Amino acid sequence: MGSDLERSFVEQLQENQNLIHKICRLYTDSEDAHKDLFQEITIQLWKAFPQFRGDSKFTTWAYRVGLNTAITLYRKKSKTINTIEFNSTIHKVNQEEYNYEEEEHIKLLYQAVHQLNDIEKALVFMYLEDKDYGEIAETLGISEVNARVKMNRIKGKLKKILNP
Amino acid sequence: MDVLDKLKNDWNKNGDRYPKISENEIYAMLHKRSSSIVKWILLISIIEFAFFLTLTFMLNDTPSAKSMVEYIGTSLNTVFGSIDMGINLVFMYLFYVNYKKITNTDTVKNLMSNILKTRKIVSRYIFIKLAYTVVMSLVVLLILYYNDPEWLATFHDLEEHGKSVQATLLYFVGGIIGVSLIVTVLWLFYKLIYGLLLKRLNKNYQELKKIEI
Repeated sequence: MGSDLERSFVEQLQENQNLIHKICRLYTDSEDAHKDLFQEITIQLWKAFPQFRGDSKFTTWAYRVGLNTAITLYRKKSKTINTIEFNSTIHKVNQEEYNYEEEEHIKLLYQAVHQLNDIEKALVFMYLEDKDYGEIAETLGISEVNARVKMNRIKGKLKKILNP
Repeated sequence: MDVLDKLKNDWNKNGDRYPKISENEIYAMLHKRSSSIVKWILLISIIEFAFFLTLTFMLNDTPSAKSMVEYIGTSLNTVFGSIDMGINLVFMYLFYVNYKKITNTDTVKNLMSNILKTRKIVSRYIFIKLAYTVVMSLVVLLILYYNDPEWLATFHDLEEHGKSVQATLLYFVGGIIGVSLIVTVLWLFYKLIYGLLLKRLNKNYQELKKIEI
């Protein structure tokens, strides 16, 4: 099925799909939207794959494309945009459609992260993935100092969201 | 332990909570259509280029354009036409060059900035084309005022009734209102598409720039 390139891509993506799922988990708030974003990231990765030299790990290469897709390239279906824009926070929390088996307090943490903006979510993602500030800064195109400052602000913001 | 570290503990241990996507499903996804914003920008920009190109050719074909050639002379008309075509070609070239710079492996900031730059080229193109349309329309209005036989006949009729000032006023005010109306509608329509397409991108780009201040 498909060319060698296609086979190699599908194999590597299948093996490392958790990375994409994690991005989707932060950027979407329902399983439907999750699938939709997963698909768009897959298409974008495939588009960039011919340039992937294999001198870095597949995941290291893939997470940047994934974040670029989630933040910039992906166009949410209009239905999703509307629900996000018109729902108040409390409403949104009630509407959380994810049914993954997660402990209640973890669900709350995810809900708090969902209230951050797209750029803040990217920082959170890279922090959770244990990327150092140099890499976080390089991926976003900002300075390392500013990445650090922003990360501290995000931590403060999350604390406030969880303990208002 | 802060909030994010609590999440981090869970982040790495729960690998199998997500639905496993099979290789076959991934194959199927590769052949699905992308709904990327870049694709939309390309599509809409091509439509906009095509729209103004069609307008250029259509306007050249109208009877008033043909009679215009008689009044202003073929050579001057060729100059106007060449300038117009030159504008089209330069912008299409600039658009193509910038479009090629958009790559999804770039840094987040560069990717955003390249997309916005590409779109800005189309925005300038439309602005220049509209400005050109306004100037040309006014020139045409002026030339027809002195040359168009039909208008001249009407004007002489009115002049005999002592209404030459009103006639001139009506002619120009009517013409200018007509032109501004068309340009305003085109501009608003354009702003609407632009706004809908780039609202989120612009917001995120501003957010990223704010970090650097």
